This record gives sequence, structure tokens and C-alpha cells, in this order.
Amino acid sequence: MDFSIRAANVEDCKDIARMIVELADYEKVTDHVKITQRDLEQDGFSKNPFFHGIIAEVPEQLRTKDGHTKVGYALYFYSYSSWAGRAIYMEDLYVMPEFRGKGIGKALMSKVAQLGLAAGCNQLNFTVLDWNKSSRDFYMSQGCCDVTTSMGYHCMRCEGEALQHLAQP
Amino acid sequence: MHFKIRPAKKEDCKEISRLIMELAVYEKMPDQVKIAHEVLVFSMSYNCLTPDPQFHCSTSVELERDGFCENPFFQCLVAEVPEEHKSKEGFTVVGYALYFYTYSTWKGRSIFLEDLYVMPEFRGNGIGKGLLCKVAEVGKKKECVRLQLSVLDWNTPSRDFYAAKGAQDLTVSEGWHAIRFDGQSLDNLANEAAKI
Repeated sequence: MDFSIRAANVEDCKDIARMIVELADYEKVTDHVKITQRDLEQDGFSKNPFFHGIIAEVPEQLRTKDGHTKVGYALYFYSYSSWAGRAIYMEDLYVMPEFRGKGIGKALMSKVAQLGLAAGCNQLNFTVLDWNKSSRDFYMSQGCCDVTTSMGYHCMRCEGEALQHLAQP
Repeated sequence: MHFKIRPAKKEDCKEISRLIMELAVYEKMPDQVKIAHEVLVFSMSYNCLTPDPQFHCSTSVELERDGFCENPFFQCLVAEVPEEHKSKEGFTVVGYALYFYTYSTWKGRSIFLEDLYVMPEFRGNGIGKGLLCKVAEVGKKKECVRLQLSVLDWNTPSRDFYAAKGAQDLTVSEGWHAIRFDGQSLDNLANEAAKI
């Protein structure tokens, strides 16, 4: 299938917001999404962006029945390991169901890896849900390591009231 | 015990790299530490970058380059005690927190606490909590709605510490696993991009 991968621009935020909701549906947590198109525009395309994006696009003749040509995305940002140095974190990777199996997901992830290496990064990190077998199989087939299983890392989060409480001066 | 928490300056990088090494020892990564220590000593003696990025702790040179540039990869806070409370080796910088901004496409701006460490002889004085709270406060000012970190499953004191502050363990409660590409697997993946 003919497709291209390119850097996201601010005009893509409407489609990114649409696909974020589709990904949340897939991860069974649609009601968790609070982000709007405007948030994405402010947070990803200002002077000190919180994230960067890449988009997978198909030609007009392959557009979806709803008329979409932007059919996948990856969202990433730079992070740091005090052991390994610069790192890149892939927050989201998504391809619309009807466009899967064509190498688009792999192409998006490879592009993130390439961008990371170009920026001097030594690791690409992300998370995956333990029940998400098809994604886990896909990632393992690309040669990654599950550091929760192999090294015992647990992902922790503070939010809401607990975070408010912590942040008291 | 009297202590203060302040943003790290470029001049603190030597102390921070020392504390990073101590944390690596605490997290029991002996192979990486053994090689890292030699490389660290080599690098600090010759003030050059490490030759093999796979096995090292960030040196003061790398910390300066990556944390104090125009678009820093991380931010750092240090905990300092007055001279009269310095450690037996004479250090007054006795703890640090290393963090960076991240993004959740569900909730928005977030902050990730990459490292939190206090020298053993200074624990139990609220310094760790002080550092954690300061990171949360910094995040709040930037309108971050989440603070995230990872902890090793065997590290019961740390897991208890974070649980007591209201952190949820998402690996246990929701099944999240941390996945990584590095070294050869990262190179192979990146090489695929050239074929697109």
C-alpha cells in the first residue's frame, strides 16, 4: 500500500485528536480522554512543545469512507536516563484498523527510532498493556525488551488529590 | 536536620554524577556500575565523553551538555545541607531529583521523576519527601496533571514511600509494562525507516 510518513503540523491536530479517541476506544478507556484539539495545538506547537508528532498519510484514492487520508500517528518526546543518557519516549502509536497489516505501524515506530538516534538518543521507551497481545507480539518481533518482566520495573503515577497534596508548598 | 532544596546549576553536575553512581549501586546493577565506574573515572579525569554509550552513567560533561542547553533533556533539583552537617567525605550536596516534562494524550501535560536519591546517612530527615514535593510543585506551576515514575519491584522501602504519598502502581492495577529498544535493536529499528 502506498503511504507516506511526515512530521505533524498544527493543522493535523484535528485528525490527531480524532485518532487519540479511536486509540482510547481500542484501549477500552474512551472516557479517560480529556485532551482537546486546542490542547494539542497549544502543547505541541508552541515554543517549548511538550511533544512531537508524525503522521501516516495515504493518497486520496485510498481515503476512508469518511474521507480521511491521515490514517496513523505516533506521538513522542525526549526524555533522559541518568545511566543511558538521552532517550526518546513514544507515548502513542496508532493505525486505523482498516489500514493495519501494511507496514504503517512499523514505519511509524522506525521513524521515531530514527529521529531518536539523530538526536543522540540511546533508548526508545514506551509502555504496553499486558492484555494487548497483538501489540506486544508486534513489539517483541521488532526486538525490544520488556523491562517490567525482565528487570522488575513498575510504572507508578500520582494524580488528582494525591498530586495536589504533594504539590503543597 | 536543616537542609534546602534548590534548582541544580551547571556547577553541581560533578556532585550529581557522583550521586547517580551511588543510586546505580543502590539499584544493584553491578555489571553496568563496574564498567560505569571505570568509565566515569576515565571520563572525569580526561573530561571527555564516554566511549561506549551502552554501559555508563551520565558523566558531569554529559549532564552539563544535556541539562543546561537551550532545550534541556532534563531538569534537576539538589538537596544541600550546611557545612556543619556535611558527610564524612565532606559533601554538602546530599540528594537530588532528576525530572522532565512528558505528555499524556488523554490528560495532557505531565512530569516524570526519573531519579530520586538521598545519601543513606541523610535519610529519615524528610529530604526525599522534600525533593518529591518540590518536583510536584514545579509540575503544578507548569499545569501538569500527572507525576509519573518507575520503581523496581523488589525495592520495598521506595514502593512503600510512594504508596504512602498516594501513588498508584499501574503495572499491578492496570497491567502496564515498560518496553525498551536500545543498542542493536534500536539501530535495527531505525535502519528500517530508511526503507520507507
